Amino acid sequence: MTTTAVATTTRKVPRAGVDLLRIVRINEEIKRVVSVSFKINIMALNAIFLAKRAGTAALGFGVLSNELRVFSQDLRNCMESLTDLIHGCVGEVSIVLQDIRFTRLLGEAAQLAPKSAAPVILAQREAENDMHATKLAQLRNQLKRALEDAFQIVELGGVLAKSAKIEAAYGQSFAAPLAQVSGEFDGIVEEIRSSLESLRRSAFFTGH
Amino acid sequence: MKITETIFQDGTHKWVAIVRDPDKPNFLVDTNEYLVTHGGQGMLLDPGGAEIFPAVFSALSSEFDPSALAAIFASHQDPDICSSLALWLEFNPKMRCYVSWLWNSFIPHFGGTAETFISIPDEGMDINLAGLTLRTVPAHYLHSSGNFNLYDKVAKILFSGDVGAALLPVEQNGLFVEDFDKHIRHAEGFHRRWMGSNEAKRRWCERVSQLEIDMLCPQHGAIYRGADVQRFISWFDDLQVGIVKG
Repeated sequence: MTTTAVATTTRKVPRAGVDLLRIVRINEEIKRVVSVSFKINIMALNAIFLAKRAGTAALGFGVLSNELRVFSQDLRNCMESLTDLIHGCVGEVSIVLQDIRFTRLLGEAAQLAPKSAAPVILAQREAENDMHATKLAQLRNQLKRALEDAFQIVELGGVLAKSAKIEAAYGQSFAAPLAQVSGEFDGIVEEIRSSLESLRRSAFFTGH
Repeated sequence: MKITETIFQDGTHKWVAIVRDPDKPNFLVDTNEYLVTHGGQGMLLDPGGAEIFPAVFSALSSEFDPSALAAIFASHQDPDICSSLALWLEFNPKMRCYVSWLWNSFIPHFGGTAETFISIPDEGMDINLAGLTLRTVPAHYLHSSGNFNLYDKVAKILFSGDVGAALLPVEQNGLFVEDFDKHIRHAEGFHRRWMGSNEAKRRWCERVSQLEIDMLCPQHGAIYRGADVQRFISWFDDLQVGIVKG
């Protein structure tokens, strides 16, 4: 193993370790979004009952509450696929971490016994490492795209929450409670948006 | 890099001790590895931990083609025994690992596939290395609950794993025990603390007393030879084990 290759391996170790830590943080943020989207589902259900009680004055609000329930389910589905991708990333990073250790040890063996089979095995191991690194890069891109999909869904959720606010104003005697509910919807959607923003900014995607 | 020393040779039948790496970091326990070769095939006994793989590999390569290693014998499940397994398998994925049945689903955490492992029953078994019969000798609870030594009747060598091990000071690095009384002081604490059963110890002493042994080769420390072998067995027989001070 050349000095450069040894140095490259040494550099990869903290990078993979940090990647694992970043993945863990992303996963925690995803769990938070899933929990909040579940809250929207319950709130939307209550909002539907409230709209029913308000009668014709809150027909529009009822339709929007129903749509918010659908939004909450779509968001949870989207987050589930993000979670699957995250688990895939954890698997690949773990393999990369093990690869790094084995490559270092095989590299040292190749240096100590250059005429043995170690350099050949080391080259094979490095080719496999590249394969895992490529797979991790692919998963990273898929995760990025899934995150953008989540953003699209949240954009729709934001529009629904804002429309619900407008509809609440037409709720006559129920205007105040409907305004309160729609305000809570809006707040929660903003909370999700901010979580997704922080995921988007994660150094796991940006690299810095 | 570790050094190799041939401790027995008769034609292609060889025992090579792989020992003493001056570059080994002090926080890693020192280990001895042994290579048995016969008829072009090799078996590595307790190949060692992953961190010392480069030193063991390079030393072994100077004596034998690592891809011709047919098998690994793991006396028990500890990381200093066989956490390098996955790295050895890179050189010969068809290599087999003999280990107590107790550990055949634990050691795969170090590497290998279902085909890699051959379970040794509690009573032991014979292993064939290109026509040479090697006998696995039960040494359960000394210290591991599923533990084996390996006996070569032809070479009259017993690989004793942790039995006979000594944690020697750096300056005392001879391959063989030269002064039994001086040496055994470094073995006493280890045996008292690591070995868990006086009954198991008694049985082991009886068992190995029936074998003809010229050399007793532990995984740590120096090799006992000649009269020191019986001296060690008697010393061990008298020792009370399974004791924690304080």
